[in-house]
Amino acid sequence: MSQVKLFGYTDRISAKPGERIDVHVNADGTDTAEAQLVRLVHGDAHPSGPGYIEEEVACEANGPWKVWKQYTQVGSFLRVADPHQRLAPDGSFTVFTYLWSTLPMVGLRQSLVGRWDIRSNKGFGFGINRKGFLEFWVGDGSDVDYVAAEAPLIARIWYFVAVSYDARTGRAEIFQEPVVNRYNSLLGKVVPMDYRSHVAETLRFRPRHDPQTPFLIAGAQDWHEARGHFVGQCFCGKLDRPGLYGRALSREEMAALQAGQRPADGLLAFWDTTAGYTERGIGDTVIDTGPHGLDAVGYNRPVRAQTGYNWNGRNDCFRLAPQEYGGVEFHVDTMIDSNWSVTRTLTLPDGLKSGAYAIRLRAGPGRGLAEEYVVFFVRAKVPKAPVAFLVPTGSYLAYANEHLSFDAQIIQPMTGQPPIVDEIDIEMYKNPDFGLSTYDSYEDGAGVCFSSFRRPILNMRPKYRMSSMGTTWQFPADLSVIAWLDQSGFDYEVLTEQDVHQEGLAALKPYRCVLSGTHPEYISERVLDATEDFIAEGGRFIYMGGNGYYWNVAYRDDEPWIMEVRKLDSGMRAWAARPGEHYLQTTGDKSGLWRNRGRPPQKTLGVGFIGEGFESGKPFRRMPDSYHRTVSWITEGIEGEIIGDFGLAQGGAAGLELDRYDLKLGTPPHAKIIASSGGHTDNYVLSVEEVLYAYPGMTGTQDYRIRADMVFFTAPNGGAVFSASSIAFGQALPVDGFKNSVAKLLTNVVGAFAKNGPVPGEAWISDEKQWR
Amino acid sequence: MGEVWKNPLTPWRGDAEPAEAASDPWRDPGEVWRAKRASSVPMHKVGRLRYFWKAQGHGERTWNRLRYWPTRRRVLDIRGEYNPKILRREKTILDRRPIYWALSFLAILLAPLIVPGDLQSTLISAGTVFLIYAAINLCWTLIIGTAGIFSLATMAVVGAAAYGAAAMSVFYGWPWWTLPFVGAGIGLVFGVVIALPATRLDGFYYALLTLGLNELCRVYVVQSRTFGSATGGLYGADSFIPAGLSPFGELATGYYAAFALMLVALALFRFVHGKRLGRILRMAPEKREAFAQAVGINYRAARIQVFILSSAALGLIGGFYASYFRGASPSLFSFDAVLLGLAMLVIGGIGRSEGAVAGTFIVILIDKVFLSLGPIRLIVIGLIMLGVVLFLKNGLFGIKQQFRAWRNKKKSENRSSRAEKGGEMLPEEATETEDKDLIYARRFDKMQRDYLKTIVSERLIEEHQRNPLGQHSEPLERLLMYFRRQPQVDKYAITVIEPFKAYRIVALSGHRGVAPRLVEEKTYPTEAEAYHAVFLRRVQDLLEY
Repeated sequence: MSQVKLFGYTDRISAKPGERIDVHVNADGTDTAEAQLVRLVHGDAHPSGPGYIEEEVACEANGPWKVWKQYTQVGSFLRVADPHQRLAPDGSFTVFTYLWSTLPMVGLRQSLVGRWDIRSNKGFGFGINRKGFLEFWVGDGSDVDYVAAEAPLIARIWYFVAVSYDARTGRAEIFQEPVVNRYNSLLGKVVPMDYRSHVAETLRFRPRHDPQTPFLIAGAQDWHEARGHFVGQCFCGKLDRPGLYGRALSREEMAALQAGQRPADGLLAFWDTTAGYTERGIGDTVIDTGPHGLDAVGYNRPVRAQTGYNWNGRNDCFRLAPQEYGGVEFHVDTMIDSNWSVTRTLTLPDGLKSGAYAIRLRAGPGRGLAEEYVVFFVRAKVPKAPVAFLVPTGSYLAYANEHLSFDAQIIQPMTGQPPIVDEIDIEMYKNPDFGLSTYDSYEDGAGVCFSSFRRPILNMRPKYRMSSMGTTWQFPADLSVIAWLDQSGFDYEVLTEQDVHQEGLAALKPYRCVLSGTHPEYISERVLDATEDFIAEGGRFIYMGGNGYYWNVAYRDDEPWIMEVRKLDSGMRAWAARPGEHYLQTTGDKSGLWRNRGRPPQKTLGVGFIGEGFESGKPFRRMPDSYHRTVSWITEGIEGEIIGDFGLAQGGAAGLELDRYDLKLGTPPHAKIIASSGGHTDNYVLSVEEVLYAYPGMTGTQDYRIRADMVFFTAPNGGAVFSASSIAFGQALPVDGFKNSVAKLLTNVVGAFAKNGPVPGEAWISDEKQWR
Repeated sequence: MGEVWKNPLTPWRGDAEPAEAASDPWRDPGEVWRAKRASSVPMHKVGRLRYFWKAQGHGERTWNRLRYWPTRRRVLDIRGEYNPKILRREKTILDRRPIYWALSFLAILLAPLIVPGDLQSTLISAGTVFLIYAAINLCWTLIIGTAGIFSLATMAVVGAAAYGAAAMSVFYGWPWWTLPFVGAGIGLVFGVVIALPATRLDGFYYALLTLGLNELCRVYVVQSRTFGSATGGLYGADSFIPAGLSPFGELATGYYAAFALMLVALALFRFVHGKRLGRILRMAPEKREAFAQAVGINYRAARIQVFILSSAALGLIGGFYASYFRGASPSLFSFDAVLLGLAMLVIGGIGRSEGAVAGTFIVILIDKVFLSLGPIRLIVIGLIMLGVVLFLKNGLFGIKQQFRAWRNKKKSENRSSRAEKGGEMLPEEATETEDKDLIYARRFDKMQRDYLKTIVSERLIEEHQRNPLGQHSEPLERLLMYFRRQPQVDKYAITVIEPFKAYRIVALSGHRGVAPRLVEEKTYPTEAEAYHAVFLRRVQDLLEY
């Protein structure tokens, strides 16, 4: 019996009581699992806190579930539905595409364009062979014959490649010519390399087509006895404007194709990767402008809006020059949607309290990998409570299944400690099926720009600790805030960013006071707008974290469970988008930091990111401004000036990532600093968007800017904002049974914010006595 | 001696870090750079001129590739590449054997036309014998080399077939063109009979058995009246050499017929060794049979198939032999014929066609051409064989591979004896490094380590133990920064056995998808202790490296 492993995900992350949700579960080593609906209260088992707390909830779905092994298609490709077999020419044909490959020498066959069945050796394929050469191959069901180019492909160089096959004579001719300009490729014209290759050879037999084999771009069909058909031989790199002719083109004609002249005579398909672009983004369908209109549909979301073979550096967005943005980027190790079959559809009990829930699945030993929490959030059917916790689902996506401890050399210098990995981390690392986070890079070095909820997210579960930092992070850290709310006596509900993204301000409007998560870093424009409008229209917002409202991200309306981000220009970033690829394909907006688009977080929250460090936490100390009667109620009942010299995250309420007050970036002029942290170690370094010139000493012990500022300001129509400005703030709440200075402070703020009527201290607006 | 480091965070209250730490006097990290002005190991000039011609690539021109009809094989296996030194396109012929074969065939074809008149008879008949024996040895090397069956019954099969064919012709008057087929039939039966014990016996015992069989055949024909015990052989069979030809015509007909025979044997070798059967058997060389079996290869069946096929072919050669020599003689079964054949195989290299042919050529040349040397010939052959067995791993045609392996061994010996451990690259290593940035990274790393070794002290270790995380003294911070910046391969990390109760040290793989490996069994009860244990390992690695 193999080791028992359970993994699952739901079809949506946010649901209301009484609604049905689908749970998808994969099971290894068992065919039944014990399911239990649980409400998650506290997720950090740190000995200084209350420990792990969950609450079992009655549900029709509780009890044993039948579970089974599920398979995941990894790798992105385009599939062409071709019901009339038009792309299976019996006679001569010509295949062509522009090509920019990133891993030609990886030692695995990569298919570019073709109708190839790996198992039966039927059809034809045009791709890169294991030695890194362009190759065209045909199969008759038993043998394979092939012709390869003379020179190996060089990585990150744009080529035009084609092969013409004459069925009468059996002659196949490979056409490989570079299309390098001053901008588009890795190497420029100073390199004395001859990229061209023209090889002709007479093949022994004609391809035999299997009508069952799909026509694929960037992949080929394979088969496994347990799994059935899947796609293998995936490709890493970009393709631009591939097509197919139903006759053998001469070399001159192929040269004309390279130059963009496509005669209609014999054209079977031409996938114009630049067609169908809109001002508001690009979908997954690549349009065939040929006679049959055989559109290609992306699987695992091939990256679009990428620079094409003819990008010349002048335009930086697909909206300006779609014809220069024909690049579609594929990766062998990308995974957007597990597409598992539904294990169980369950109806949420009607009277379910709003909160963080999970289907707890256990089998075998029932711990470690044999225990899974399939997490989702239940919002109120009709909002009633005055207080709401806004779950930062965008940031959960951004960090979903991050591999930093294993793959990122920079993580130990950054976090100042060796990582602590557990068996879940190792399982995630071993298994490409779980996909990557936007903190990872693909094997070819390109950054990951998509992340989705339709897959098991191993770090979005209670008890989980982020391996590189030795603390909880994102969801399990946010549970500390939920646990505090739960015991505080305040009537609260939860809702997710996804709800706010879809419904806008209306989702926030019913609440008087909204608390953010501990690290709401990835924010779509709609969420940012809704938050700003909520505050401006009289809502009270408590920003519970650090480094929030930082990246501009996008979701498509039809698939809101997938997020896109492109990291560029500045900001603490795991990768950098290539030149010309800075705009989100999802919306056509420029990605990167909100700050670089004129909306620094200071403008909305009063504070913005300043620095980070991960091996220590420090307390806040009250600032003189906090004694003013407009704000002194915030610190009421707290003895002394020190706030939060404790916490589950490195022993201090100010830690991990810190935000700072900055008038130059739009902190409201009347904002007051209630308390600031200080004494941060040299592991805390200034964030890069603050750096124009790098010079020594931009670290915690020498740069005064590296600190967290607790900031308060009032907003129009009775609104108000309190910003905690540190990720570790939330993790300080559970210490000493939620009876501590940080919890006290938050109680004061939430208490004041949740009440109808003006915030306290509003009347103390006169000039100070000058004779004291 | 000792100095004190003051923690800059002391004025801030509520810190976990100590206010100060005992420290050693400050050392300038630039010191090692100033001290190191030259390599401490001799640096040789590297770079070689190319003395031979190499085809250049041609991006513009279409390369029309040709194949051996009707196969998929290209005439030459050519790899196009970029010369890494200057990025010029080049074409390298990966396998030059087809060229050598073609030249050899041409030489064989033309040889009878250029032999001097007085030696014509000796040389052409020696050539014919060479070609027949080459054909025999090609089949034999399939048995010994490809199939790995140590059979010495080859000559017994050939002889039996020759006798059988001769008998058919002599007693029943069958025409010459039937004789190879008769021989092949006898070879097939013989093959099946002697293949049976091969499934049970192996190595030495099987060799003994087959040798005995050979001897049995010899004794039988020597004593049998029917097979000409009186005349010293069975003669009078029909020959393919038409009567009434000139002496040269007779010689040449025999010679070219033997050449054709060898070509048939070569084709057989190619089809068995180079195709599925041969590939299966190369997966299952001697002493690795268990592995082959584990991956689902029925190597026994494959071996027997090869054996029977080769035996039939040997029989065919026997029939040809009878037809060429107009009969058969007991010398076919003689022990020295077996040994000479073995010498041919061993000298050329077992398991390869060029080895079988070249080995045969050498032995026949000495044995049949240098007749004037007398019995010394055999001693010369013995000496060559001895030399080959003593000094070569796989005959004459294994020399290239053996030389390369030896050269690589010498290369790494030389490098390791010159290079400093963990030090900077030698010029010859540098030329082999694609990313020249690594060359500097090695230099920088060496300098860093040389400096850091000087600042490791008991006090530093104590300081870390007190406080693995948080602000550290300047030297400790430098040391930690170096450790943390190491590449991911084999970088230490910690794994959880039970949260907040038990931790262990692991090393990361640095390769996507490969789990970390456990470094030691010891468990540490707290994170802090695990952090310090990792630190101690890193310090130890630094000092040892």
